[in-house]
Amino acid sequence: MQNLSTRLLVMLFVLTLLAAGCAKKPVAEEAVVEETPQVSVVEEQQPVAVVEESVNEMPSSSSSSTMSAAEKAAAGLMRVYFDFDQYLLTDVAKDTLANNAKLLKAAPGVMVKIEGHCDERGSDEYNLALGEKRALATKNYLVSLGVSASRLSVISYGEEMPLDPAKTETAWAKNRRAEFKVKR
Amino acid sequence: MRFLRFLFLSLLASLLFAFSATAIEIEISSPGEQTIPLAITKLLPMTAPQAGIAEEFQQVLENDLDLSGLFDLVDPASFLGDAAKLTLRSIDVDFAQWKLLGAEALIKGGYRFEGDKMTIELRLYDVITRRLLTGRRYLGKAKDVRRIAHAFADQVMQGLTGELGPFSSRIAYISNRTGRKELYMMDVDGDKPLRLTDHRTIVLNPDFAPKRKEMIFTSYKAGNPDLYRKEIYTGRESRMSLKEGLNIGGRYSPDGREVALTLSKDKNSELYLIGTDGTIHKRLTKHYGIDVDPSWSPDGNRIAFVSDRRGNPNVFIVDVHTLDVSRLTFEGKYNATPAWSPKGDRIAFARLEDKRFDIFTINPDGSDERRLTFGPGSKEHPRWSPDGRFLVYSLDRDNEKSIWIMRADGTGARRISAPGGDDTHPAWSGRW
Repeated sequence: MQNLSTRLLVMLFVLTLLAAGCAKKPVAEEAVVEETPQVSVVEEQQPVAVVEESVNEMPSSSSSSTMSAAEKAAAGLMRVYFDFDQYLLTDVAKDTLANNAKLLKAAPGVMVKIEGHCDERGSDEYNLALGEKRALATKNYLVSLGVSASRLSVISYGEEMPLDPAKTETAWAKNRRAEFKVKR
Repeated sequence: MRFLRFLFLSLLASLLFAFSATAIEIEISSPGEQTIPLAITKLLPMTAPQAGIAEEFQQVLENDLDLSGLFDLVDPASFLGDAAKLTLRSIDVDFAQWKLLGAEALIKGGYRFEGDKMTIELRLYDVITRRLLTGRRYLGKAKDVRRIAHAFADQVMQGLTGELGPFSSRIAYISNRTGRKELYMMDVDGDKPLRLTDHRTIVLNPDFAPKRKEMIFTSYKAGNPDLYRKEIYTGRESRMSLKEGLNIGGRYSPDGREVALTLSKDKNSELYLIGTDGTIHKRLTKHYGIDVDPSWSPDGNRIAFVSDRRGNPNVFIVDVHTLDVSRLTFEGKYNATPAWSPKGDRIAFARLEDKRFDIFTINPDGSDERRLTFGPGSKEHPRWSPDGRFLVYSLDRDNEKSIWIMRADGTGARRISAPGGDDTHPAWSGRW
């Protein structure tokens, strides 16, 4: 039957895809929130090795010296990224958050909303829950670094707001993230 | 065909017993094995003919009956003289002609206008026993032709299987045609798409109330993913659940009195039952893992849901009364979006394998898992028709998301949503 040969073809295709597999990422570290922050180490390092630019553009008139604390914080807070179906923070993410924590502590009045996002793979509902876990893991780590919990709120957008809509590993990696929005 | 004679004998018997017995049901889980040769004649004008009426009626009725998988349509080119005669009484039909063509069932009908008021008379005859199976008269206007065709398709299914078809029901879905995700509703064949929300944020995952013309869905309109309720025809809308965090995946209980949903008010997603006023009746799950995507058993005693409590997302079943949890799916690494058939006998779900979802069904005891969809593209969000004969789902293929319908065994798949946007998250209404 034609149906049977179609199925065989599909199975072959599936096997080929299996063989190709997805890029293996190092396993995320186990302990997240409870870990004592290694602030001293972080301070000696370069701010963060994240390639993304900041979200908010400064008005052309304002020089950096006249920037408000909120603007400075908004400009400096960097996104963190997650592995597929994971909400544990990677080492890179922890470094990023250490830097974000410094900025937040330097601007004590600034309130921040942490958005959790997912790539498009997986079910929408599951990704909404996963995005929230990412946002909460991010918040908890910042709190463990001394940022007041009352300044940090979380929201999950699941897979609804991808940074890059492409269907590639690169795009998906970009979309699995927690973002920081300064409340004005 | 022998079974058809048996059917008609049974029907006759049930008539003799003063309609006490229900008509025998033809199982159409394996369509193609027992199709009925059916002749659909063109609607004939009973007064002055009006252009397009007969054609549109024919197209809608044929499309519905073709989707059912129950029929082999007799080629209209072979029709003889009786097809051109308006015979609304069985004694006037020349059944011998239809027998000659191999037809076992025959649809005849006519329409007339009085001003803009339209009447359509329809008859379903059994060619073998020369009897009227179903006779219906529909009153409306010219714009109602499609509705009437769907309604009669449902009656044809009833006449031949003992259970109404689902063609008069509606499909809700989410579309980004305006640039934002909003809630829409359309006919089962994709006609009459209608936008129902104007939230201009993100609207997600609708569900129909089982009895009222009402829907629930999640929206970010107020800055948080809250659960909303909307009356479809009045447009009245209110927030049903607005707890901090997620208020998602709302599903009405079969009696319409409660809603199962995911809340994350305690910093972790758990399943709850709430009343239609939003008050929490019961917490259903207690686990640090993710618990989402509830779907009720038709008796309202159990709920299938998705959890990663054993590592990867899988489908589990929780007993609403005892809160005992059992695992349903063991194959695959990512199983999601369960949908319990209204007949109770199967649970549909989507499995992610090699970067795309396909739709499977499984018995509620975990046996007899079957894959329904194959081929390119990702198929997600299966939901059952109210008669359990069909599934609607979304397909993500070639950078376009569209809504499709297929039979419960995976055959007969066809696209119903029009091009021009990404359409996802279908939900099938109950009887309309």
